[in-house]
Amino acid sequence: MTKFITLVAKILLTILVLLVVLDWAYTTVYLKNSDRGKIQHIFNSKARNYDVVILGSSRANNHFVPELFEKKGLKTFNYGMSGAHLFEASLMLKLMAERNYKIKTVILEADLSLCNEKESEAIAAKFLPYIHHSEIIAAHFSKLDVFNELYYIPFYRYIDFDALIGFREMYNTATKKPTNILDNLGYHPLGHKPGNMKNDIRALKPIRNKYYEEIKQICRQNHYNLITVMTPMCANVKGLDYFEKANQIYPEIYNLENVVEGDQYFSSCGHLNDAGARLFTEVIIERFFRNSTN
Amino acid sequence: MVVVSYYFYSCWDWRFLFLLLFSTLLCYFTGIKIEKSTVERERKFWFWLSIVFNLGFLAIFKYYNFFAFSFSEVLNNIGINSSPLLLDVILPVGISFYTFHGLSYVIDIYYKRIQSEKNVVDYALFVSYFPLLVAGPIERATHLLPQVKRIRSFDYEKAKQGVYQIIWGLVKKVVIADTCATYANAIFDNYTAMNTFSLILGAVYFAFQIYGDFSGYSDMALGMSKLFGLDLLRNFNYPYFSRDIAEFWRRWHISLSSWFRDYLYIPLGGSRGSKLKQVRNVFIIFVVSGFWHGANWTFLAWGFINALYFLPSLLLGTNRNNMETAELHWDFNSIKVFFSILATFSITCLAWIFFRAKSIDIAIDYIRRIFTNGNFLSQYLENERYNYELILLVLTFVLVEWNSRYKIEPISGKYSWLKMTLCLLAIIALGTYADYKEFIYFQF
Repeated sequence: MTKFITLVAKILLTILVLLVVLDWAYTTVYLKNSDRGKIQHIFNSKARNYDVVILGSSRANNHFVPELFEKKGLKTFNYGMSGAHLFEASLMLKLMAERNYKIKTVILEADLSLCNEKESEAIAAKFLPYIHHSEIIAAHFSKLDVFNELYYIPFYRYIDFDALIGFREMYNTATKKPTNILDNLGYHPLGHKPGNMKNDIRALKPIRNKYYEEIKQICRQNHYNLITVMTPMCANVKGLDYFEKANQIYPEIYNLENVVEGDQYFSSCGHLNDAGARLFTEVIIERFFRNSTN
Repeated sequence: MVVVSYYFYSCWDWRFLFLLLFSTLLCYFTGIKIEKSTVERERKFWFWLSIVFNLGFLAIFKYYNFFAFSFSEVLNNIGINSSPLLLDVILPVGISFYTFHGLSYVIDIYYKRIQSEKNVVDYALFVSYFPLLVAGPIERATHLLPQVKRIRSFDYEKAKQGVYQIIWGLVKKVVIADTCATYANAIFDNYTAMNTFSLILGAVYFAFQIYGDFSGYSDMALGMSKLFGLDLLRNFNYPYFSRDIAEFWRRWHISLSSWFRDYLYIPLGGSRGSKLKQVRNVFIIFVVSGFWHGANWTFLAWGFINALYFLPSLLLGTNRNNMETAELHWDFNSIKVFFSILATFSITCLAWIFFRAKSIDIAIDYIRRIFTNGNFLSQYLENERYNYELILLVLTFVLVEWNSRYKIEPISGKYSWLKMTLCLLAIIALGTYADYKEFIYFQF
């Protein structure tokens, strides 16, 4: 029996050593590369200067065309990410501020994401490789139920989110496999896919969102001009009064839900296609940056 | 251990503990009654009472809705409007396994192959022993009960082998099966958009998913039992290295195949009698075996196809040709062996398509597209991966299995510590965890 207990102890020790070594190896790979995602792009950067930074979900990522801002002389990057909630937008802005980014204006897409304060697993996981290298990230995640496991058990985060930051992503990062995420200054244009031009958002209820409050506070502290907008949806939506309800809670949010109309400008009900995004961006520039030149 | 086993089962759904307990007590008491009865009519009564109740539970929980629905469809097709009276029941996990434990026990007593077990606790453990309760292997009273009754002492070598087998089972489950599952699901769920290359890979990935999933579970059950000093029946013996379909069925889910052989095929006459009778017996055993897996026409079709595969070797009398483990050398005969293995694996994959598909129509359409699409380019799948990405992992797994085909698992022997560390590394770094999948055979 003693021999068996020794065997089990040796196996457990081997597992522990493997966890520590793998954790170190994966984290090192993620720390040394900044080309495979917007979070890496920020985390592994030093101070940058922007006239306009765009934050939000896919409804920011697919709706704001930095190229059009640049034509106006405004240095712009679209940091919107498909699936992101305000949890992630707030954390990204904190990291930018920590790295002394000089930003004149932050455009935040905050509409459907106002209704929850949860993290988006698919996006939040991308911050986790840096959890031991950033007090801001650790503090931001500290309110989550699984924080202790993610923070204290070596390699746990890479196992728990293996599809997002596990072996495959680590390998692609280490071998510098190219992605198109940072192309077009972060903007991802969508094509026109006919059909699916309806949506039902009656179940969504806007709330006073703590991460939106955080974003407002970060902008105040760092003297970033914050423009918060609600972006277009197709006409066939049940529960469109959501946007008015959101406006009742936050009157400062610009309701631009209806500035682009016509299914020909949409890829799906919640997402403009490239033509629609260009039209929408022109509206934004005309409305908020008419007199801006650099 | 009975208490632990019942607790283990209750973690899934405590309400079905009563079903397990009833099935156990029924077989226990009818077993004793059959043995004690001196009058043949009485023996038969207790025997059939046990058979009818056990199969009755299986019929109600597993097959009733299928038959009711199919019957209603037939009536509708001939112009009689009907809506099936369906039961709102969930399938108790492991019912097919523990029912077959009980059935074999009662049948063996009836045919006087064994004596009834008088100790109800020992018998309850035979039926409910937790590693094999929900997904087998399907044990025999003649094999497990004597081990349960024996006073066992701790055997370090056996326990060590058990630990190695558990680790290898984990590799099969989380590294091979669950990873293949994400690709196989992405392909099968969108098969109409897939090209020939993806469709072939989908079938191959599913073949390794189901093998890794089920044999991985069996390895863990066998390994865990070795820690308690118990030897369970071996359930898999490297089936994908089989040179013909008869050999495949001697190596795949051995405990079920041998159960059907002993309690269905041989009583039906087995390979005795006219060729026609032999063919009938083969079709019965394969179709019933398919149906055992689940109440769906796809499983029946899968069993039927395997019977068709088996038929040539039965008619030619070559079904016992490949009894030894396959060898490959640098000679002409090895080329033949290699292509025999490849051919057997290919037709097995074709049959798996029926097992995996939601309906027979879909399975046929899937196969038709393999042969008509003709496009072998790589494809980006819905799981956000390319279709070819797993080929290297699967080939590595095949090589490891080939090199250890004379052993229970590949870890023991020379450099065992290094091999075990590599396995642990694979489990930690290459396993699929975010997209957890329950063991496939839990549903049977």
